[in-house]
Amino acid sequence: MTGAAPLLPEPRQPGRVLDARLHLLDRQVLDVDSVPVGTLDDLELGPSGPGAAAGSPRADDPPLDGTTTVVVTALLSGPVLGTRVFGGRPPASRWHRVLWRHVTDVGTAVRLANRGDDLDLTWTERWVRDHVVGRLPGGRHDPDAGP
Amino acid sequence: MIASDLLDARVLEADGQAVGWVVDLRLVLDGTTDGILARPRLHGLVVSPRTRTSFLGFERSDVRSPWPIAPLLRRWHRGTFLVHWPDVARVPEPDDADHPGPAVVVLRPGYLRYDATLHR
Amino acid sequence: MKRLLAVALGILTAIGGFLDAGDLVTNAVVGSRFGMSLAWVVGAGVIGICVFAHMSGKVAAVSGRATFEIIRERLGPRAAGLNLAASLAVTVLTLVAEVGGIALALQLASSVDHRLWVPVAALAVWLVLWRVKFEIMENVTGLLGLALVGFAVAVFLLGPDWGELAAQLAPQVPVEEDAGTYWYYAIALFGAAMTPYEVFFFSSGGVEEGWTAKDLATSRLNVLVGFPLGGLLSVSIAACAALVLMPAGIQVDAMSQLTLPVAQAGGTLLVAVIIVGIVAATFGAALETALSTGYSLSQYLGWSWGKFRRPAQAARFHLAMILALVVAVAVLATNVDPIAVTEYSVVFSAVALPLTYLPILVVANDPEYMGDQVNGRAMNAVATVYLVIIVVAAVAAIPLMIATEAGG
Repeated sequence: MTGAAPLLPEPRQPGRVLDARLHLLDRQVLDVDSVPVGTLDDLELGPSGPGAAAGSPRADDPPLDGTTTVVVTALLSGPVLGTRVFGGRPPASRWHRVLWRHVTDVGTAVRLANRGDDLDLTWTERWVRDHVVGRLPGGRHDPDAGP
Repeated sequence: MIASDLLDARVLEADGQAVGWVVDLRLVLDGTTDGILARPRLHGLVVSPRTRTSFLGFERSDVRSPWPIAPLLRRWHRGTFLVHWPDVARVPEPDDADHPGPAVVVLRPGYLRYDATLHR
Repeated sequence: MKRLLAVALGILTAIGGFLDAGDLVTNAVVGSRFGMSLAWVVGAGVIGICVFAHMSGKVAAVSGRATFEIIRERLGPRAAGLNLAASLAVTVLTLVAEVGGIALALQLASSVDHRLWVPVAALAVWLVLWRVKFEIMENVTGLLGLALVGFAVAVFLLGPDWGELAAQLAPQVPVEEDAGTYWYYAIALFGAAMTPYEVFFFSSGGVEEGWTAKDLATSRLNVLVGFPLGGLLSVSIAACAALVLMPAGIQVDAMSQLTLPVAQAGGTLLVAVIIVGIVAATFGAALETALSTGYSLSQYLGWSWGKFRRPAQAARFHLAMILALVVAVAVLATNVDPIAVTEYSVVFSAVALPLTYLPILVVANDPEYMGDQVNGRAMNAVATVYLVIIVVAAVAAIPLMIATEAGG
C-alpha cells in the first residue's frame, strides 16, 4: 500500500452522503419554529440495531470497530463544546442529547421536530428567562405589537 | 463513542506505519428510517496524509473558487483518501489509562483506499 | 422617503464603522496632522467594506445564516472561539467609547459634566435595545446621523482652494511626520472602515429584516449607499480639520475640537446640526456594537437571538447586551478617556478581521449554501486582493502600534 497507488473509485451510495465535520458539526440546531436551540457540538455513535436510539448505547460504552455497523444515535450539545476547544472529554452524564429521530432536515442548519423549550439543552435559556429577562418590565413584550 | 473520539486521531496501518490523520467521518443516510430521515451509518473515515485538520474541505469538493485559495488548499491536502469502516481494526479507547498519548486508529492488513471526493 | 428608509441599515452600519466616537476624533486628528494625504486609505477601506458587507449580506439573504454562524461552522470551535474573543474585545471597547462618546456629545450640548451623562446614556441605549423595533431603531438613528452631512457642507462653506486640496490627496508623508506614524494611521483608518462588528451587524440586521434571496437588490443598495456615504463624511471631517486646524497648528485631542471648523464655516446653527449628528452617530454606533456583542456571542453558542423576538424568547442574547453595557459603565467609571480606549482596539481587530473575512469569502463561493448566487469572477478577484491587504494590515498593525506608541 504505497501513497502513489491510484485511489479506488468510491461506489455510489444508496443514501445521502454527509461528512460529519463538513455538514453537521458546528451547525446551528433549530427547533420546529426555527428558533435556535444550540449548536451541534458532537455526534454520539452506537451500534446499529433495534433499540439503538432508545438511549441504551451510551457514548461512553467501549469503542466500536469495523466489525460492528455503527450509526449516529444522537446529536450532542452543551458541555462537549468546552472539551472540543480545550481538549479532554466530559462525563457522558453531562451531555445534552437530542436523538437523531427528532431531526427533520440537514441543510445550512439542522432542524428538529421538537419545540426548543421541551429540550434539556435549553435550560440556561429558560433559567435566564424565568429569573432575569422575563422579570424585567416589558420582557415579554412583542416587538411587533407596537409600543 | 462520540465523533471527537475519532476525529484528529492518528491513523496507523497494521504494522504500525503511520499514514495520516482522521479529518472527517463519512456518513451515509441508508440505515433504517428513524423519525423522518434514515439513520446515518458510519461509512468510513476520511484520512489526510499531510495535516491533522481538514481546513474547509476543498480537497473533497468540486468547488474551485475563490482562486487561489481553493487550489492551494486542495494541493495542501493532496493524497486524502477514504477508508471504509469495515477496514478499521481498532479505535481509541476514550481516556484509556493503558494507552496514554494521542488517540490512534489502526487499519486492517490489506485495507483499501477509496477516492474521498463528494459529489453533489 | 421609502427608498431612503430601505437603506437605513446600510447607513447605520456605516456610521458605526466610519463615524463612531473614536473615528470622529481620529478623522480630525488625521486631517490636522496629515491633511488629505490619507484620504486614499478611506477610499480603499470603503471598497473593502463594500465587498465584505456585500458578501455577508448575500450569504445571510440566500442561506439565512448570519456571519458568526458561518464562522463557527467553517472554522470550528477553536479558531472561531479565538475570533470570538478578539471580536468581543474590539466590539466592547468600541461600545465603551460610544457610551462615553454620547456623554461627551451631550456635554457639548448641555455643559453638564460628561461623567454624569454616562449612566443616562447607557440606560437610554438599553431602553432602545429592549423595547424599540429594529426597523424604527435603524431608521431614526440612520436619518438623524445624516446630520453629519453638515461636515461636508462646512467644507464647501469654508471655500477652500479646491486645486490645492486635491493636490493634497496624493499619498505622501508630511515633512514633520515620520513614515511609521503615517502608516500607523493608515492602518487605523483602514481598520476603522473594515471592523468585524459592522459585518456582524449588517448580516444579522438582514436576518432581523427577514431578507430572502428576493432581497439581494436591497442588500446591494444598502452597501452601495451606506458605506460610500460613511467614507465621504469621514473624509469631510478630515478636510475640515485640514483646512482650519492644520494651518492654525491645533492638535486635536478631544471631541469638542470637531466643532471648531464647523463654527468657523457655518456658525452656531451648523454647530447645532453637527451636534445632533454626533449624538445620533455615537448613539447609533453604541446600538450597533451592543447588538453585535449579542449577535456574535449568541451565534457562536447557538442561542436564540434577535430583536424581532420578544426579549423573553431571546433571554441570553438580551442578558449579554445588558452585561456589555454594565461593563461599559464600569470601565468609564474609572475615568479612562473613552476615545483613547479605541486606539487599542485596532490590535484585536487585526486578529479578528482575517478570521472573519475568510469564512465569508469561502461560503460565498459554496454552491451548497448559495445555489447559483455564488460569487462571480470579478467579485472573487477583488475579494482575494482584499484578503491579501487585510492579512498584511493585520500583520503590520501590532508592530507599528508598538513602534509609534499608538501614533504618538
